[in-house]
Amino acid sequence: MTENKIYFKFDGKTYGGNHGDTIAAALLRNNVKLVGRSFKYHRPRGIYTCGIEEPNALVQIVNEHNEPNVRATVKEIYKGMVVKSQNRWPTLKRDIGSINNLLSPIFSAGFYYKTFMGPKGFWKRVYEPLIRRTAGLGKPPKEFKSKSIHLHHNVDIVIVGGGLSGLLAAKKLAGTNYDVLLIERDNVLGGMLNNTKKIKSINDQSTKDWVEKTERLIKNSSNIKVLKNTLVTTYNYSNHLIALEDKSVGKPQSNKNPELVLHKIRTKQTILANGHIERFVSFRNNDLPGVMLAASFEKYINRYGVVPDESPVIFTNNSSTFSLVKLLTDLGYKPKAYVDIRDPKKIEKEISELLKKNNIPLYSKSEIEGCDGNNEVKKVTIRVKKNEAIKVKTSMLCVSGGFNPDIHLFTQSKGLLKWDENLLTFVPNKIFQNTITLGAVSGNFDYEKLTNEIEKKLSIFKNTNDLDIKFDIDGPKKFQIKELWETKHAKRSYWSKSFIDLQNDVTTKDLKQAIQEGFNRIEHLKRFTTNSMGTDQGKISSINALGIVSKILKKNVSEVGTTTYRPPYAPLSFSAIAGRSTYDFYDPKRKTPIHEWHIENNAVFEDVGQWKRPWYFKKYENESMYDAVQRESKQTREAAGILDGSTLGKIEIKGRDALEFVNLIYTNSFTKMKPGFGRYALMLGEDGMVKDDGIVCKITNQHFIVTTTTGGAASVLSHMEEYAQTEWPNMNVYMNSITEQFATFNLSGPKSKLIMSRVFNNVDFSNERFPFMSFKTFDYLDTQIRVLRASFTGEMGYEIYVPPKYALKLWERIFYYSQDIGLVPYGTETMHLLRAEKGYIIVGQETDGTVTPLDLNLNWMIGKNKKDFIGKRSLVRSDTIKEDRKQLVGLIPLDKTYGIEEGQHVIENEEISTPIINPIKMLGHVTSSYFSPTLEHCIAMALIKDGNRKIGTKLFVSTPNHQSIPVEVVKPIFLDPNNERMQI
Amino acid sequence: MFTINCPYCGERDQSEFSNGGEAHVARPKDPSQVSDREWSEYVFIRTNPKGIYYERWVHTHGCKKWFNAVRNTSTDEILKVYKMGETPPPLKEFKNTIKTPSGEPDVGSGNFSVKKP
Repeated sequence: MTENKIYFKFDGKTYGGNHGDTIAAALLRNNVKLVGRSFKYHRPRGIYTCGIEEPNALVQIVNEHNEPNVRATVKEIYKGMVVKSQNRWPTLKRDIGSINNLLSPIFSAGFYYKTFMGPKGFWKRVYEPLIRRTAGLGKPPKEFKSKSIHLHHNVDIVIVGGGLSGLLAAKKLAGTNYDVLLIERDNVLGGMLNNTKKIKSINDQSTKDWVEKTERLIKNSSNIKVLKNTLVTTYNYSNHLIALEDKSVGKPQSNKNPELVLHKIRTKQTILANGHIERFVSFRNNDLPGVMLAASFEKYINRYGVVPDESPVIFTNNSSTFSLVKLLTDLGYKPKAYVDIRDPKKIEKEISELLKKNNIPLYSKSEIEGCDGNNEVKKVTIRVKKNEAIKVKTSMLCVSGGFNPDIHLFTQSKGLLKWDENLLTFVPNKIFQNTITLGAVSGNFDYEKLTNEIEKKLSIFKNTNDLDIKFDIDGPKKFQIKELWETKHAKRSYWSKSFIDLQNDVTTKDLKQAIQEGFNRIEHLKRFTTNSMGTDQGKISSINALGIVSKILKKNVSEVGTTTYRPPYAPLSFSAIAGRSTYDFYDPKRKTPIHEWHIENNAVFEDVGQWKRPWYFKKYENESMYDAVQRESKQTREAAGILDGSTLGKIEIKGRDALEFVNLIYTNSFTKMKPGFGRYALMLGEDGMVKDDGIVCKITNQHFIVTTTTGGAASVLSHMEEYAQTEWPNMNVYMNSITEQFATFNLSGPKSKLIMSRVFNNVDFSNERFPFMSFKTFDYLDTQIRVLRASFTGEMGYEIYVPPKYALKLWERIFYYSQDIGLVPYGTETMHLLRAEKGYIIVGQETDGTVTPLDLNLNWMIGKNKKDFIGKRSLVRSDTIKEDRKQLVGLIPLDKTYGIEEGQHVIENEEISTPIINPIKMLGHVTSSYFSPTLEHCIAMALIKDGNRKIGTKLFVSTPNHQSIPVEVVKPIFLDPNNERMQI
Repeated sequence: MFTINCPYCGERDQSEFSNGGEAHVARPKDPSQVSDREWSEYVFIRTNPKGIYYERWVHTHGCKKWFNAVRNTSTDEILKVYKMGETPPPLKEFKNTIKTPSGEPDVGSGNFSVKKP
């Protein structure tokens, strides 16, 4: 054990890696090839790539909130990291689930859809838990702690990718007036220059020196900011990019600093220089640990100094594998065999000469039929002629099936693609936004043309630097490729499979079967087979699938088309998206000035919008909600009760035309109402349906204060603004929310007048001097208080408006003066009960956007003489004037010991027939229902069809357990129909 | 998420705004004088074109002002914004964005990244 080693744990065993190693590099360094089990068949899987495209090597990081599905090929190790393999039980080497692989004939495409269909209820109780245990990837973390922040940028140019093309673009823009952001996913710049030696030198400098020099140049220019370890995941409309920066690369998590930064970027121009991705080839058992993409194999050597294998077999259909052979032979290693499907004449002479010089057997016009081995590759079968195969012993197989420009972001931006017959892949064709593609992503695999391309495409920018770049290229100058998606499969056993999607365990056979079953559209095929639907989104394989499908359908690949690329490019954790918006910061909690008093007095709170409102107050430890509500409402009717109504919306309306405006907004008429009085008012939508209610108080004809429901405060204000700005722009009227400028108390009960005259002993509260619906403003301490005599409960009552600073003092003062009276604080539930007893509606409970004032028997609230108000015309539409609409009625159970539940259906007949054969005729539903402690029986309100004419008849309320409760239909007012209690 | 150029505040993220449906649907001057049909067309009926659409927006989390915008519904491009009460720009001003009979330009609309030949 040396000092420089970094030690971490994988499946309980300690391994050492070098500084900067990814988990995959460190495992390969320790000759660990088996790192996971596959999604469906539990097949052994190894490390397939060396980057973000990895389909197989997904691991769980135990010491980071148990983060699942982390790419071992991206995540850097640090001291004390604890890594676990996924989807295996009990251990990686002996996994019981791998029996699925033997059962695989039944696990074909659409297996889940076809198999788990019945009997009823089995899905939830049997199938789902079973599938969840055996299929799938990592386990979701149990705890969640967000340590991410969001940052916003506004720049002129974003360069995505700090590889060769990105660096050249940045070099061109360095020192200009453009504000540039260069984003690189890796923690080093240079991209492929770090991974391969295809370019020997740039301007006679080693590539390493050139990258360092260019980076210094960029850093010293004040106009370019570089973000490393940052992945652009999303390319939205209006050149809006989202990028995720990992701040904890190679470090354990810190409790102080954010681990992730989500950058939200607006730019005028986006330069995509995000390179290309190598694709694989489907052959028998192409998923075995030991099979690796050729460029990734090369990257492990160049980037990490790890040689995964000293004598692999190389399988290719293109010219790019030259550099791998060169690298291995330069290091003194010798590949076992070089298999190229191309004709010997087509193979570049650089390659054949290199192979010959090093005595490496070349199998041209040959292909890999498959490979074999238990848990990892032991030998490969090379089909050299149609009926002739040879077997070669090896422990690794490097595959190159060509390269795809990384078009994910380009298509997210809504750019269009075209099929390139030379590169055999999709390349960008037409842009939709201000997008420039450079280098490999634009389909330019030719380094010698790169400088020209960049000069030409960036010529739209002014006063840029000239690039004077000369590359010294090692190996074939031109990229050449021959089409190959799948090699012919000589079936050996059920274990033999040729995969098209490694992560989701989709085989090429599944594709064929799906097409046979009629799923010949690529989007359908994808969903039916789950091809490319894993967390890697088929980065190394999705174009191959298109190739195979196009062959079966005998179409061109461009006719088959691609599936839709959607953000994000690679998975990003929810904690990054959430940012600071978690727990207490997720949504503001709005509290009234009395909130602390409520807590001290054992209030149980209810969320009303963002508000915390007391639901009921517990008088003693185990008091149930039912008992509390019965007690609170009885005491209010017998003595007095007080409700904290501070959450009610309050809007101040001022202006020369305020009266006319209020007359148009509400149904009632306020022209004749005297200043100093208020009125219960209804607000309709233009469709004639009840939208909100409240009290409109007139201070003068140019000054009104209106209240709204708690939940409607914001929407009512914007409704008013909309009409003031768009329909009546010439009206002189202004409105402003004053909800939080006043705390509001509703005091009601027969003793409320006595309490008020004690609290405000200089005010005359007699019925003559302080009549019903009048309000007065008077001095209190060094502020002013407004009191409105109104009734929310059918009792004598007052509404008190007080600035929040004085609210708690006044609230306590009211209780101080009521000690001998028995004043009770009550919550929203009691408020509902007290209102229901009087048949007062609650907007949103008795109404649901389909109820007119006439349906609620509130005809008296409509200003008949007004020429117009919002919704007036709709009240005489053919639909709203129907007499048999659903109307609000009261219901009382005939057997007074019965209760009714809210939301139940009201029906005509006692018999509840079988719904399917003989549907029950629903008349309507119960909107509110309570047990009234004053009346000592259940009272309910319901909206039922032709309700007004059903008053006095007997109907039934159905219950969930198939009972029907007989009820009498009554007028929706249960207590004090003549309103005598408000006037005592 | 696109941006909208509020005529009062300047360019802001779409999330600051709320959409108010089709623009230039005037409320009848005297609703009592219009037929049921005319009234229902004012209250309920809106056009829903794929292509150029004149619509209302309000800068909810900003100046709270209403204004009009011309948007291409198939690409979400905002082609013009103008204040309430101003004359709407004529449709022919935007003719370049309508390339197919359905009003769908070949780039930027639909899910297909490869257009069928």
